Amino acid sequence: MDIRAQVSMVFHLDKCIGCHTCSLACKNIWTDRKGAEYMWWNNVETKPGTGYPTLWEDQEKYKGGWEVVNEGGKPRARLKLQGRFGALANIFYNPYLPSVDDYYEPWTYDYANLLDAPEGDDQPTARAVSQITGKYIDTIEAGPNWDDDLGGSTIYAANDPNLAGLNEAERAELAELQRVVFFYLPRICNHCLNAGCVAACPAGAIYKRGEDGIVLISQEKCRGWRMCISGCPYKKTYYNWHTGKSEKCILCFPRLESGQPPACFHSCVGRIRYLGVLLYDADRIEEAISVPNQELVEAQRSIIQDPFDPKIIQAARDGGVSDAMLDAAQKSPVYKFVKLWKLALPLHAEFRTLPMLFYVPPMLPVLARVTGDGNYEVAGAADHSLAPLLSSLDRARVPLRYMANLFAAGNEEVVREVYRKLFAVRLHSRSQQVGDVPADEVQRALEIGKTTPEEAGAIFRLTARPTYQERFLVPPLHREEAIEQTISPYKERSETGFGFLETPERRW
Amino acid sequence: MADGRLVGDKMSHASESAAAGKPRPLARGSIRAVILALLFSAAASGVLAVQGGDTSVGQQLFQKNCIGCHTIGGGTLVGPDLQGVTERRDQQWLVSWIENPDQVRASGDPIAQQLDQQFPVKMPNLGLTRAQAEQIVAYLAAQSGAAPAASPAAAALLAGDVVHGKDLFTGNARFSAGGPACIACHSAGGVGALGGGQLGPDLTLSINKFGEAGLDGFLTNPPTQTMSAVWTGHALTPQERADLRAFLAQAAVSGRPTNTVVQLALLAIAGTALLLGLAQVIWRNRLRAVRRTMVTAARR
Repeated sequence: MDIRAQVSMVFHLDKCIGCHTCSLACKNIWTDRKGAEYMWWNNVETKPGTGYPTLWEDQEKYKGGWEVVNEGGKPRARLKLQGRFGALANIFYNPYLPSVDDYYEPWTYDYANLLDAPEGDDQPTARAVSQITGKYIDTIEAGPNWDDDLGGSTIYAANDPNLAGLNEAERAELAELQRVVFFYLPRICNHCLNAGCVAACPAGAIYKRGEDGIVLISQEKCRGWRMCISGCPYKKTYYNWHTGKSEKCILCFPRLESGQPPACFHSCVGRIRYLGVLLYDADRIEEAISVPNQELVEAQRSIIQDPFDPKIIQAARDGGVSDAMLDAAQKSPVYKFVKLWKLALPLHAEFRTLPMLFYVPPMLPVLARVTGDGNYEVAGAADHSLAPLLSSLDRARVPLRYMANLFAAGNEEVVREVYRKLFAVRLHSRSQQVGDVPADEVQRALEIGKTTPEEAGAIFRLTARPTYQERFLVPPLHREEAIEQTISPYKERSETGFGFLETPERRW
Repeated sequence: MADGRLVGDKMSHASESAAAGKPRPLARGSIRAVILALLFSAAASGVLAVQGGDTSVGQQLFQKNCIGCHTIGGGTLVGPDLQGVTERRDQQWLVSWIENPDQVRASGDPIAQQLDQQFPVKMPNLGLTRAQAEQIVAYLAAQSGAAPAASPAAAALLAGDVVHGKDLFTGNARFSAGGPACIACHSAGGVGALGGGQLGPDLTLSINKFGEAGLDGFLTNPPTQTMSAVWTGHALTPQERADLRAFLAQAAVSGRPTNTVVQLALLAIAGTALLLGLAQVIWRNRLRAVRRTMVTAARR
């Protein structure tokens, strides 16, 4: 048993309004630089859609993540991109890289023209200017959230890889104008336990911080081979064409170390984001990624450990996890959503990187649907309060299959259970707040949702009315203690302050 | 003989000043007059020499212009041994040939054609006047019956130092008389990847063409117009000649003429192109233009 701490995240998609405030907060702090214009460490996608970069979920194209092979009768996970020899053979030529066109060509507008244009017959316009070439762009062909701009389009939405397994009728229904439906999927780096980028890096420049599990790229060691970009199935490492190095979300570790949540969390208007510590057993990672797709979500849950168990606490202490970290793990909202309540699911568990960012699937599109006569049928508003629980999950506007492809590696049962519990909580809360649901129906709903009134109350509280401190349980990171595990404090002490970029030298 | 000497000196003097572009304060007419007078006297002395049997002017001209390639009774070098040549050939033909071989060649002369085929180096135009050519022929006629004279070929050749020869060729070492380094105009195998000058011929295989003795003779008294102009007054020492010979002998064995370097470069370019083409084929399934392909396919 090797218990380690991981700063983990939950995004509650029911609350996301797709405002992109998180993206802009991140952009303004971290990627508003030359060479980083096209990067969105945090981006918000509209689903169904092909995402950013286009079709990032299609690993037949990008070769990201891990695959399980049968080796001598034993399943073994290996990097889908390449092994050591493949890495050597392709080191100067990685064939599975997205081009800037697959992200989008970043642009700004020629605003000065609005003020400086000479007098003429026409209103002056601000033309789009490429931030890479500096030339005018006549037609903008793609953007960081093109799916939103073309919601439900026959090009982008229709090519969503998660539609796999849906029949023609279901696909047609999704695209039907009156029924067009979409929801938002904010994405940042998942800070995976079994990160593909770390495994793919030939320079050994990517590492997972011991004390909090944040995955970082050393800008000193990075040699720009760009294997991480192919290796990460979420396409969350980006190549900076100006510096020649790759970059990624750093989970705002300078903010975390001073006790603040990351900027995208802090700025979230819908308050959909939760941050907290999870304890996991690092010895069982290989076992957890070697199971068949259907069992992946459960396997990932199983390596997350109970922070109240004395044996776990002892093992964690032995492994160097600080008491403050253990305390944070016990109060963690992420632990509740993921392990206790089993509401939050990993995105694309089939990539087998064990992502540590979990999503509570959105309920809204599941519940309201259009009947044959063109009217909306809103579940819960009709007399049969239990109807959605009993039947409509399978007649949802966005089929369960789609949600299962996104959040449960194709296992519909996992998603169905989440929705049942979410609906039970909603019914229970309605009975508490409005009081128009018969008690026996609430009781029945709680049974179907496999929950209790206490738990439903707690879920409601953390979902709808959490305080800032409840949403963000930033552990005291004690970077200085973490450093002491590998570097002598006496050496650390002599390296004054922020250090020197250029050591002062007497030149006379 | 003094006249002949004078001609050469004055002429070179005049041409030097013209080439240097520094007009002397001497009237153009007077230069022409002097030249004409000297020419006339030279021609007159030449005729006299032929008739009167004084061959010392001819000997000097021969020493200056011919011994690079020819001997009299010393055996064949680059050009034929000239022992008894005045008996083999018509004298008027010889004069014309020495004065202006190009003209004789152009006239389709059968002997000229035969000689050109027989010997590795064609008889060059030495820029001699008809009078001078006659002097030389007179000298040759006088020598034909004489005992074989000492010639460069007959003299024992010094052994050379390859390394020093290369240094002399590339200019790392200076010629004692101050001539320019060979590399300024010539290339040869072994002087480096970029080769030398392109003005003169590549000298890699020159030793095969001229032979040791021939090359020595050539270097002693370069017969071609360009070389002669450059080297007059900067004669190589016997040791320098020997070193250069040694270097060129080695270059002929181990070196590569510059044109083969060019061939190699072309081959390398072709190989690179082939490898690039091969890479295109091997990685033809690589990822490219995901979004564009998707959009194109959807619009179709």
